Amino acid sequence: MSRGKLAIVGIGEVATGWYPDRTEWDMIYDTCIEAIRDSGLGKNDVEGVISVNPMAQPKLQGEIGFGKVPEELGLKGCKDICIVNAGGSTTTNALRLAEHWIQSGIAKTVLIHHCTKHSSIPIDEAIRFFATAGIDLQWEYPFGMTYNALIALSMTRYMHDTKTTPEEMASIVVALNKWAQLDPLSMNRKPVTIEKVLASRMVTTPLHAFECNRLGDGASAMVVTSPELAKKLTDTPVYKLGEAVRYTQATITQRTDREGIRKAVSDAAKEVLKEAGITLKDISILELYVAYPLGIVNLLEGLGICMPGEAGKFIMEGNTSPGGKLPVSTMGDAVGRGHTGSGVGTATYVECARQLMGRAGERQVPNCKYILTNSAGGSGMNMIWSVFGRELK
Amino acid sequence: MNDYNKPLPVKQPWSEEFWKGTKRRKLLIQHCNDCGKNIFYPRKYCPECWSSNLGWIESKGTGTLFSYTVTMYGVEEKFMADLPYVIALVDLGEGIRVMSRLVNCRHEDIKCDIPVKVVFEDMTDEFTIFYFEPA
Repeated sequence: MSRGKLAIVGIGEVATGWYPDRTEWDMIYDTCIEAIRDSGLGKNDVEGVISVNPMAQPKLQGEIGFGKVPEELGLKGCKDICIVNAGGSTTTNALRLAEHWIQSGIAKTVLIHHCTKHSSIPIDEAIRFFATAGIDLQWEYPFGMTYNALIALSMTRYMHDTKTTPEEMASIVVALNKWAQLDPLSMNRKPVTIEKVLASRMVTTPLHAFECNRLGDGASAMVVTSPELAKKLTDTPVYKLGEAVRYTQATITQRTDREGIRKAVSDAAKEVLKEAGITLKDISILELYVAYPLGIVNLLEGLGICMPGEAGKFIMEGNTSPGGKLPVSTMGDAVGRGHTGSGVGTATYVECARQLMGRAGERQVPNCKYILTNSAGGSGMNMIWSVFGRELK
Repeated sequence: MNDYNKPLPVKQPWSEEFWKGTKRRKLLIQHCNDCGKNIFYPRKYCPECWSSNLGWIESKGTGTLFSYTVTMYGVEEKFMADLPYVIALVDLGEGIRVMSRLVNCRHEDIKCDIPVKVVFEDMTDEFTIFYFEPA
């Protein structure tokens, strides 16, 4: 994965929401066609389709995984398809596979897309899915473990060690919500305050309902190609300039080394910045898909932007909010946008492209030149950093 | 005891011994006879040295509470009767960390790093689960 071998040239997205009356395919049609039209390509110019696995929807997974997308959309020039699954880091892997297809000549242009429709999953099934996806069935699940509890366990210890206050933690939701308020595609646009976060129902201490994710329906898509072709197609190609990753652990009991995740974050970040030939100071936005507020804290401290224990304060001071000195997650991450499974990851890259294309409306960060993105699967089994930019270095 | 309707641990052949241990009110820890490492969770081969020469030691059953969360809401129906309950991460004296529940305590007394000790509770005829309580 070396510098500038892939460019995003088209994007499409439906607003995250609750659409019991729309089918998955209805959303797949709209987002994929929007992205292909946006790229300037004709429908038969798309040579590959890579789908983000809708983990919670086995039926849709079967349809997509066995090749329905190009057939439905009439992509007559499609040479191959693949469905990718790495939890929250799925879209990153879809981009990697696309890069390989493009560089090896398997496909010159690739459509990457996602769709998840939580409203069609019965609520008890959805709870069961999230209770068992990534939770160990022998050593965690029998105790009544949930994803919320998993984050809460890390948060309890973090707050104990650093004396970070509930108000500081709650301010992360407020900061994300400020971005979501400016985003017509986000689901949770009603203004929230620290007081409202802390007054929301306690789900599992110290995690309040407003600090957890609200499930939504969503779909997004992007078209990627080689930098050479990208320049011919558009005036605003978005280049991937670097990527670096570390695997950590799958289960929380294995994270006995307290510096483990922070070191993974920091090592991979150093590597990606070196590859992209820039420094942290050059970054205009951090687009992070972490799903829970604590993730942002871990990443800011892992990057060395904040000293251990000081990220909460940094966020509460407004540094990551609209107008702040380091905008973070300009669509409000899953907390603001609404949680669409692995789709938040796809939407994060679409938002990254939107910002670098200068099309982010009220959220547009001025002079946006480089964006550092992060994705991770499961409860942080890996840490993947990528750098995107407007120009090839 | 047989009307237990919550999820049971999904065993592997190499974890059989562990669950036989809890039935006898013993907390067993897998141990590599070659590199000397204590292993949790049990593996088929030692994750340090890939030895298959694995055995078991008995834990003293004491440790400290690394972290905890009092779960109050948002669980599957089969766990609802237990609410509120405390999920715990416990660092055992033998140098491993396990997930469990903290029981027999007032929630307001729980703090990170308090000493805890193991207790056992029969789930079914086959399974006995391990919990912890303040020591």
